[in-house]
This record gives sequence, structure tokens and C-alpha cells, in this order.
Amino acid sequence: MTLVPGSTRPVITALIDPATVEAIAGETWIALVGDDEVIVPAPGDLPADTLSAWVDITGPWTGSVVLTTGRQTAADLTRALLGEAAPELLDHEDVADAIGEIANVVGGNVKAALPGPSTLGLPEVGQAPAVRDPDDVCRLDVLWRGRPLVVSIQGTLPPLPTPHEHPYPNGASL
Amino acid sequence: MRALVIDDSRAMRRIVSTALEGFGYETRQAGHGQGALDVLQEGYAPDLCTIDWNMPVMDGLQFVSVVRANPAWRALTLVMVTSESEQGQIVRALAAGAHEYVIKPFTPDALRDKLALLGMLPQGVAL
Repeated sequence: MTLVPGSTRPVITALIDPATVEAIAGETWIALVGDDEVIVPAPGDLPADTLSAWVDITGPWTGSVVLTTGRQTAADLTRALLGEAAPELLDHEDVADAIGEIANVVGGNVKAALPGPSTLGLPEVGQAPAVRDPDDVCRLDVLWRGRPLVVSIQGTLPPLPTPHEHPYPNGASL
Repeated sequence: MRALVIDDSRAMRRIVSTALEGFGYETRQAGHGQGALDVLQEGYAPDLCTIDWNMPVMDGLQFVSVVRANPAWRALTLVMVTSESEQGQIVRALAAGAHEYVIKPFTPDALRDKLALLGMLPQGVAL
């Protein structure tokens, strides 16, 4: 198992693979967004104006499951999710609630695939949390209706310092 | 039959309510466990509660425990509808007094099947 350097913490890619994340996201899309709605694994360029929703997982692996897409795509996702109940004019709260719930469902199922016990946080929406350790990321790029979305499962703990030799092996110091 | 749909996501409340109304339920909604207790204490008497797990103010597991501690609500059927899908969490919810467990994402058919197992489908709903 791949560990975070210098620690006993496994990195996310040792615990879950993109195919599992894709299966989770695909099921979520069909159930929440619509029977005919599919996501296709393919990279795409996110627009400059993006919105992210994420849930935190705390346990043997600690990090966030982050869904990021363009604001217009997030609004269209919200309309698809709400169907006939969608208001004529969506406000930010509508969009935040909808994509937050998608992140919550994906995150809950990701958590179940990880070693436990773990706890799941409440959804948050805004600008995606920064990647703390590039080695502790499992990223899935998909297209929905031809538009890009990214699901990123990313550790929120910084990499531990790598053990290194004492510069003065005999214990001498300056 | 009446159902109280408890979830902090408005979108999910709509999805669950739409499914239940399709089965013939009349529904009300609450955004967290305390809000649901308020609805029950006002005198609303549902046959069924669907309950999310992770919610602000009062989570679903706390709500189940409070309801199960009150003999007046003994007849209430409690179904967790949640993305918490670890086996240990399912066991905890059932031990606390939930009757069934539906994992998000779910289809209306899956919810209908669970309700059928509990004998909680209004008459005339096709299986």
C-alpha cells in the first residue's frame, strides 16, 4: 500500500481507484439528475468561473470529496435535479443546495468504500479547498451534456515531513 | 397515508416527497431533526418519517432516538434515507429504532420496494 512519505497514512489512490469513483458518480447522476443523464469520463477545460461543493471525511483517511464545475453548469444541474419544481429564477441558495447534495451523496458513498470508521461532514459550497498533498488525490474528469466536471478526492492533511539524516550524524550541533 | 420528509437539502426533500406523493402519500417536510420534532409536537401525525442522517441542529440518529423514547410515537415507521452507507452506520440506525435503511442515491422503485416490505404502501400502489 502506498503511504504518505514518512507516515503510516495511506494515500487515497491506495484506497480507491477512479473506476470506483466513476461508478459512484454515475449512479448518483442517474438517481438524482435523471434517468437519461449520463456522465462520460473525459477531460475538459473548466471555465474560469467555477463553483465547488464538497464534504469532508474524517477517519483513517482524512480529506474532502470535491465536485467542481462551471457556474452555468451548476445552475443547469440544479434545474435538472429540481425538475418541474425548479423556480423560474434560481438563486445562489438553490444552486448551493443542489450541488451540495450531489457532493454529499458522492461523498457518502466514497466514505463507504474507504476503511472506517469515518465521519462525514455537512456539504460546503464555494471555492474548492486547496490540494494539500498532490500525491494524496484521486481525480475524475467527466463530461455532462458535453460540459466538464471534476470530482476530486483529496487529502486535507499536509504531507508529513520526510525523515532526513541529521546534518551532524554524531549529534553535534552548532 | 401521511409522511414527514426530513432532510437538510431542499432538493432531496423534493425528490423524496415527489416519490412518496407518487405512491399516494400526503407529505410535509422538515430541514432537520429538531424541526421534525416541532412538527410532531404540533400534532401532525404521520405514518412514516424518512430521515437523512447528517443534518445540522439535530441529526437523523438523534431524531430516531428521541422518537423511540416517546411512547406516543411508537407507531411511527422510521426509514433512514441517507448517503451514510457504511455497514456499521446501518447497524447503529437500526439498533436505535429505525425500521429500514435506504442508501442514497436511490430510485423511486427502490424506495417503493422498501416501503412494500414494511407494509407501508398505500393501497392500490402497483408493486
